[in-house]
Amino acid sequence: MSVRLTRRELAALLGGAVVSGAGASPESAGFPIRRPGVVGVAKLAPDESGATSRERALPPMTSALLAATGATDVGSAVRGLFRPSDVVGIKLNCLGGRRLSPRPEVVEALVAVLEQGGVERRRIILFDRSSRELERAGFAVRRAGDGPLCFGTDNDYESRPTESGSIGSCFARLVTETCTALVGFGVVKDHDLAGVSASLKNWYGVIHNPNKYHDNQCDPYVADVVRHPIIADKLRLTVLDGVTAQCQGGPAYRPDGVFPLARLAVTTDPVAADLWAWRVIDAERVRRGMPTLEAAGRPPRFVATAARAGLGIGDPARLEEVDA
Amino acid sequence: MSRPVDRRRFAALLAGSAAAGAVAASRGEASIRVGEVVNSGELPAREASWYRKLEANRVECQLCPQSCKVADAERGTCGVRENRGGTYFTLVHSLACSVHADPIEKKPFFHVMPGELALSYAAAGCNVECKFCQNWEISQFRPEQVRSLYLPPEALVSMAKGAKARLTAATYSEPVVFWEYVRDAAEAARKAGLAATVVSNGFIQETPLKEVLPLLRAVKVDLKSFRDTFYRDQVRGRLEPVLKSLEVIRGAGVWLEIVVLVIPTLNDSETEIRDLARWVKTNLGREVPVHFTRFHPTYRLTDLPPTPVATLERAWSVARAEGLDFAYLGNVPGHPGESTRCPACDAILVKRLGFTVLDNRLVDGACPDCHRTIPGVWR
Repeated sequence: MSVRLTRRELAALLGGAVVSGAGASPESAGFPIRRPGVVGVAKLAPDESGATSRERALPPMTSALLAATGATDVGSAVRGLFRPSDVVGIKLNCLGGRRLSPRPEVVEALVAVLEQGGVERRRIILFDRSSRELERAGFAVRRAGDGPLCFGTDNDYESRPTESGSIGSCFARLVTETCTALVGFGVVKDHDLAGVSASLKNWYGVIHNPNKYHDNQCDPYVADVVRHPIIADKLRLTVLDGVTAQCQGGPAYRPDGVFPLARLAVTTDPVAADLWAWRVIDAERVRRGMPTLEAAGRPPRFVATAARAGLGIGDPARLEEVDA
Repeated sequence: MSRPVDRRRFAALLAGSAAAGAVAASRGEASIRVGEVVNSGELPAREASWYRKLEANRVECQLCPQSCKVADAERGTCGVRENRGGTYFTLVHSLACSVHADPIEKKPFFHVMPGELALSYAAAGCNVECKFCQNWEISQFRPEQVRSLYLPPEALVSMAKGAKARLTAATYSEPVVFWEYVRDAAEAARKAGLAATVVSNGFIQETPLKEVLPLLRAVKVDLKSFRDTFYRDQVRGRLEPVLKSLEVIRGAGVWLEIVVLVIPTLNDSETEIRDLARWVKTNLGREVPVHFTRFHPTYRLTDLPPTPVATLERAWSVARAEGLDFAYLGNVPGHPGESTRCPACDAILVKRLGFTVLDNRLVDGACPDCHRTIPGVWR
């Protein structure tokens, strides 16, 4: 059984752009803001001790968001992405532990920006597939209180699988029932099988059976997970914590694979986010005299598949990196 | 499908056994008591028995034909084996997510100790993904996603004795993915005078299969189709390794029965059934029982109807016409095809109704009328 077409897929099939073209203003893009191919990138270097802070991350988070959305102020940007009634789920990727996961202080900066734009803290949920992994990455699990809440989906899945292309999975109920808007918040890292694990691959963490979908370089499975309406219809923003990135040996942390990218990337296009991550990972690999991911036999092929599914821009020539 | 074990029932079964209350002594399990429910917390891990180390902390699993190459912190297709810093671990040894004393006919084994109970157990996970899996709620989840009990082999055997079961059966999910547990439980069963059996998809590499077979009395293999395309499209596996396993099991002298779940339009053609029956007769022998069982829509295959009984009867007839001595029908309670007949005189030897044995006329494993020896494990 196939899933029904999303509006974006329908638009793609009809031959038009998925939404408005690259560089479109938020006003012309409607709600939510979609700027295919545009990735706002800001510098975010840690201090001398290697640490960062919410205060340090707040300006680049703000400027990257503005660059990504084309908005002139935080309020417009956030209101262009989220409604006050939304419950915003921020999917973190904490597999890499404290040394290769979104930094809590950078995530806090995003929460602050959202709050500044009118999203109440209590309507924000930070989550990953397990509370244990969140804690290992330095997040405090909070299941109640003023927010943002923070917990793992753990074993709370839909009772029946649903189909999307080649996958058949039970999705986390937090995503299907609780959250009305989603943000992907990953890191920039190499993946042994998929090639890159940054944006799209992060969503493997909301299905019950990701281990079944790692053959053939995770293609077309990554795209099939994200194009499911449960995710595609709710995904508004993707953020990549690139303070530290990893160009080989992923997805686990590997000391000889990490490098100080010192960047923060924000985009409304989850496919472009992976294109950007692929680009910076390859740049570091070339700098080290290593083969590119393509030459190493594991280009992230799911990127092109996701683009064909109407999820965003997969053509490197159309990637528009906007320095913030 | 068997429900996850009920705590009260488990306690009752375990009560009085030597294992009750014992504290696990092995490394990583010291804080877990026998019978304790293990949730999504830290799972006890044991180094896997069949894998090799690769460069850069990667490993290659050598247990099943998926031959997963697994990076650090990742798991194989089965979801129950994890690479931790270049060492591969099984996360399901002694972790039973389902335990139940079933009639041996439920496995189904029709030529193994009719009417006896088999203490049946499973751990989470599977190395394939059948779209029609009847037990997907345990086989298609990772161990931290289902409720499991810490049940080491000795406790399993004690539980079997408490339930008056003469057999153990690794079943429900896919025993290949908890093969070390199967091996150790079979060893414990043998020492206790119980017969260890396995119900498997047969999708396993030859070396681990051969290492464990000497500990087993019987193996039932689900031959899901006789077409490789079916295996690739519906199972995410391959046919050839399964056929190889069937030959290895048969060659080892371990009792073998085969189950074919007949699914409308997907694997029910007369040609395919005929090919399958001929292959079994030629490569395994006419005395290997083949059960044709009825499909019911479930998991990802919910748009097909249950198998018509007439389709099963046709498969049954084809198999018999091709010369198989013991063809059966399954999941059709009350059908004559459930009973064992003497291939020489056609007398009913074991009459069944569902999982219940109504009459067992076998005498020392032979037909009481014509004295034909009936192959099987009868005691």
